[in-house]
Amino acid sequence: MVENIRQAKANGAKVVGCFPLYPPLELLHSLGLIPFVLWDIKEHARILKESDRHIQSFTCSVVRRLIEFVLSEEGKLLDGLLMYNACDTLRNMPEIIECGLEERGETLPLFKFHVPMTSPTQIDSTGYLADRIRELVIEIESAFGVKFSSERFLASVKLYNMIRKLSLELENLVAEGRMSYADFSRLIKNGYLMSPEDYLSALKDAIRQAGSSQLKNIADGRRIIVSGILPPPDALCSIIEQAGMRVVGNDVSSQARSYSHIPQEMSDPAGYYADFYRKHYPCTTLLYLSDERLKALNELMEKRNARGLIFIGEKFCEYEYLEIPFLSKMLEQKKIATLQLEIATDDEDNVEAFRTRIEAFSELIRSS
Amino acid sequence: MAEEKDETRGLMKTESGRRLTKILTDDYLNLHQKAAGGTFVVWVAIIVPVELFYGFDNVVFAVPESHAALSAAKGVGMLQCEKAEQYGYSMDICSYARIDIGTAMSGGKDSPTFGLPRPHLLVSNNNNCSLLVKWFDVYHREWNVPHFILDVPFCYEMQKEKDLKYIVAQFRNLVQTIEKMSGQKFNIDRVKEAMRNSSAAARQYKRFIDCAVHRPSGITAFDSFVQMAPLLTSRGRPEVVNHFRLLADETEEKIKKGEFPVPNERYRLLWDSIAPWHQLRKMSTRLAGLDANIIAASYTSCVGSIEGSYEFLQEYRDEDPFESLARIQNFSVCPYGLNLRFNAMSWAAQHYDIDGFVFASNRSCKVYSVMQMDLQKWITEELGIPSIMIDVDHADVRKYNEENAFLRIEALLESIDAKRSCA
Repeated sequence: MVENIRQAKANGAKVVGCFPLYPPLELLHSLGLIPFVLWDIKEHARILKESDRHIQSFTCSVVRRLIEFVLSEEGKLLDGLLMYNACDTLRNMPEIIECGLEERGETLPLFKFHVPMTSPTQIDSTGYLADRIRELVIEIESAFGVKFSSERFLASVKLYNMIRKLSLELENLVAEGRMSYADFSRLIKNGYLMSPEDYLSALKDAIRQAGSSQLKNIADGRRIIVSGILPPPDALCSIIEQAGMRVVGNDVSSQARSYSHIPQEMSDPAGYYADFYRKHYPCTTLLYLSDERLKALNELMEKRNARGLIFIGEKFCEYEYLEIPFLSKMLEQKKIATLQLEIATDDEDNVEAFRTRIEAFSELIRSS
Repeated sequence: MAEEKDETRGLMKTESGRRLTKILTDDYLNLHQKAAGGTFVVWVAIIVPVELFYGFDNVVFAVPESHAALSAAKGVGMLQCEKAEQYGYSMDICSYARIDIGTAMSGGKDSPTFGLPRPHLLVSNNNNCSLLVKWFDVYHREWNVPHFILDVPFCYEMQKEKDLKYIVAQFRNLVQTIEKMSGQKFNIDRVKEAMRNSSAAARQYKRFIDCAVHRPSGITAFDSFVQMAPLLTSRGRPEVVNHFRLLADETEEKIKKGEFPVPNERYRLLWDSIAPWHQLRKMSTRLAGLDANIIAASYTSCVGSIEGSYEFLQEYRDEDPFESLARIQNFSVCPYGLNLRFNAMSWAAQHYDIDGFVFASNRSCKVYSVMQMDLQKWITEELGIPSIMIDVDHADVRKYNEENAFLRIEALLESIDAKRSCA
């Protein structure tokens, strides 16, 4: 997938690496830049040599791999970085990256903006966000010598909304058994390191292929949802399927939490991002939406007729881990079985240890 | 009352220590009594501007982080953490949060203060860390208590005017929220009075910690950790001003009399992280045995300041309280970035004539720890001052290994000696 970045650069594009979780991709795209979101990038940051020189091992794999990527040879492909206050760890990364680049005598423009985290019952902070978006536009225009256009912004919004709609459609096909969740996860993951146009094509191809493939029923209706920041690693997806379960939906930040809300299409980025962030699908990192989390999960469970939920815990993510006990308790009160698995940076290749627990969980929901 | 002289070097028992105990005991008792009498109770994160609550007749506040620190210092941190873990809260979560959740879920059992009275309102802020918001959400959901989030933008540079205005608007909204919920009217003049007291208390506290400038230091950083509690739980009150004035006077007097916690002080160290609450006496005593003294800490030196500085910059001169409070929202290290931290620590290195830095890498506090590796490199290279990094969780003793830590500390002292012999 790094090849996509190389190709884009070879075609004269400027490439911006975005910190997860929910950066304003439409805005960057409308300004003629290609945004890539730097998460779920294990293949491109396997050994954390650079990262370990700058941050402790008790940070999550998302951040450690992001730092590794940016400070590695592949990172030199980037023309800029963009971030917002997504989490406590990510907010501390800009200056660490600066230190790392400075060691090599390099710099990279890093655009930062603050997304308000006030709760809906408090003051209306859309004005503050609007100002931050306008400032961001001016900064990017100045850094790259580009000019904002409302028409191009609207076109980018439509493009990304189409991507969201097709992602939802593909998720439905996974729920029906026409595509494996592992294949689905791989496609979504690769999408973050593709131009949106290429990603849209890939989604259309996948939908076509899945639509014409045979329906795969699962015995005993062992339908489950997975929840977490990143999807389960491929090997874990295989174990889940081998245990007779099907992942019929997800509450994963890099998947459904990213595409489930289709923001209202408009040509004013200030208005668009007010809708985008305020009405976003609930995520643990969007502090003002925590009251919506349980409702969203319940609706998902019902929509997908799921009997169980597996939390794929990203080790060291306090946002997730401060919510999991409550969500587990609430779901279990509704007789929905839950299982918590923890995935640390080096666990992705060592998932066999989870097999027994997953098989037991599968038996549990079969008999429920 | 005659002053006891504890023969143990390091953290010393003092008249001020006894006065502090009385202030805190009375405060917690008062909190419980008032709550039982129907007073409006607010739980706050440590840098929430509590001075605003003085604008109401009948509002009291409790500080879960401070209670967690006290619990850890009293030796019940691990017990409370285990309770939270039994409720399903991961051991990787901040130990302050686990202690607090463990305490709350067990109805205050094993707490040195019988826990904290149930709140009517939770007020968190996200500039120290967003974990605080998620932590308070636990109670918001469990007890159905409203949760007000103060959203304070992180400082990579000095606070910007637009961010200050944004914060002020939220403070006004908070006041309106309390008015609505409590049925009480807000009186801004009482807030100004509280702010004068907070400013005066911080100034006296600064005078106390500046006793570390003397060679040998008149204090240990462990003294500053213990003494900072009223600034979190009771600031805004005149008694706190009086306490810190007496504390500073007492400490200066001890210096004049030649009484020092580490009389043969050879190594002056600065600690970067939260206090190691479960090790206060042990660590200070063992260091004293090595003629080493952690004389200052970023955790306490930042009191009374603003982002990027440890100098006293919180003089209140009757300006608009909302703006003044908004201006000082980012003083506590975690709300600001690497460049500003370097500035503050460089100043401290010179001001306190530091021989070595101890960076305490704290698994419970990523916001404090995650930039320490680069900060350590920068400080060491730029200032030429030796440093080490040790692993210390501030409140969960299970994540601390004394021998491991002291192996490195002793190596630091050797580095300092080696540097001196090359000079």
